[in-house]
Amino acid sequence: MQNKRMPQGGKACFHPDSAAAQGLLNCLVCHELVGDHEKRCPRCSTKLRARVNNSTQISFSLLLTALFLYIPANVYPIMITDMLGDRTQSTIIGGVILFLESESYFIAAVIFIASIIVPVGKMAAIAWLCYSVNRKKPIRKAELTQVYRITEFIGKWSMVDVFVVAILVALIQLGGLMSIQVGIAASAFAGVVILTMVSAHQFDTRILWDKMEDE
Amino acid sequence: MPDKIEHRSNVVCPRCKHVIAVGHNNAKHYVLALCVTALILLAVACSFSFISFASNGQARTINLLQTFTELYAQGYIFVSLLVFLFILLLPLLYLLSLSYIILSTRYRLGFLPVIGLGKVISHILPWSMAEVFLIGVLVALIKIISMADIFLQASFWAYVLFAPLFTHIVFIVDNHRLWRWVDDAK
Repeated sequence: MQNKRMPQGGKACFHPDSAAAQGLLNCLVCHELVGDHEKRCPRCSTKLRARVNNSTQISFSLLLTALFLYIPANVYPIMITDMLGDRTQSTIIGGVILFLESESYFIAAVIFIASIIVPVGKMAAIAWLCYSVNRKKPIRKAELTQVYRITEFIGKWSMVDVFVVAILVALIQLGGLMSIQVGIAASAFAGVVILTMVSAHQFDTRILWDKMEDE
Repeated sequence: MPDKIEHRSNVVCPRCKHVIAVGHNNAKHYVLALCVTALILLAVACSFSFISFASNGQARTINLLQTFTELYAQGYIFVSLLVFLFILLLPLLYLLSLSYIILSTRYRLGFLPVIGLGKVISHILPWSMAEVFLIGVLVALIKIISMADIFLQASFWAYVLFAPLFTHIVFIVDNHRLWRWVDDAK
């Protein structure tokens, strides 16, 4: 029974300082620390595992899906503006360039950070985490946990772009004079945000600490 | 974990320096009061008009709900559902569940499972995006402020107050405190 909850190789791959090596399990929902003879958390009855099974594989596959969705999110228009019969389609990067041309550097920067740097940076960070826990070399620094924390924290901020579109679409509906329609990229981009958030959430940070080198 | 945490001091993880718990002398009353305030603000935000927009003699006023109903009307059901969940439903569920748990520690309410609510809170927390929506509104306003006259209405100001308040509640109610309340309420 014990081995079913252990990752490949049994107890030996836990870091000696970890709770799992001392026969304790941490509940991921209510953070209760219980002995490893328990199958379910006595407080919230969540299933307990020393390490989430296949957590890197799940994270990585979600990440790949997000990466593929990121292509239509950038290729197709996120917003279609009708102004006096004149139809303009704007992609995410097109919007940034538009603001650069009209010298609104601040807004350009905000949109660029929220819809390009944050999602790309986040995907790169998750990929790096997945790579680091799977290579043979031990992880030298505890900084990786901070990378994870930052990734988890900034995750929802890329939703800003979708919200901006939602507000503009609701607000600017003046019939033939000026109106804004949503583009297909909005759905794709929202999908990217959701998938990267779930991917980061699936990643079990405890495996990072298992590979920590002793200082 | 120390039994007593000094008022307004943080307990951090010795390994990764992440804040695990926050000290507060009267957290239960404080958070319950904040929850009620936030719920009132949310009710105000939903019942009045949000932003008015006028350009070349044409005007349009929207309320908060139209930010997702308009997406729905254009056939983008998925995005519309997400916006509805992230800015309204999940924060609302969070506040209601939290208030229920706090009230259960004092009175025997008993018609909802407290542990289930605790799990609900733990699961919906990463998906409440009130503060992100607020930034989205500001960016949208900056985008259109040069081409039209914008009037900010009551509901907008209610949401401006609601978003930071919600973030503050989430900060005070750390996981440790939440589950201690759940234990008390059982």
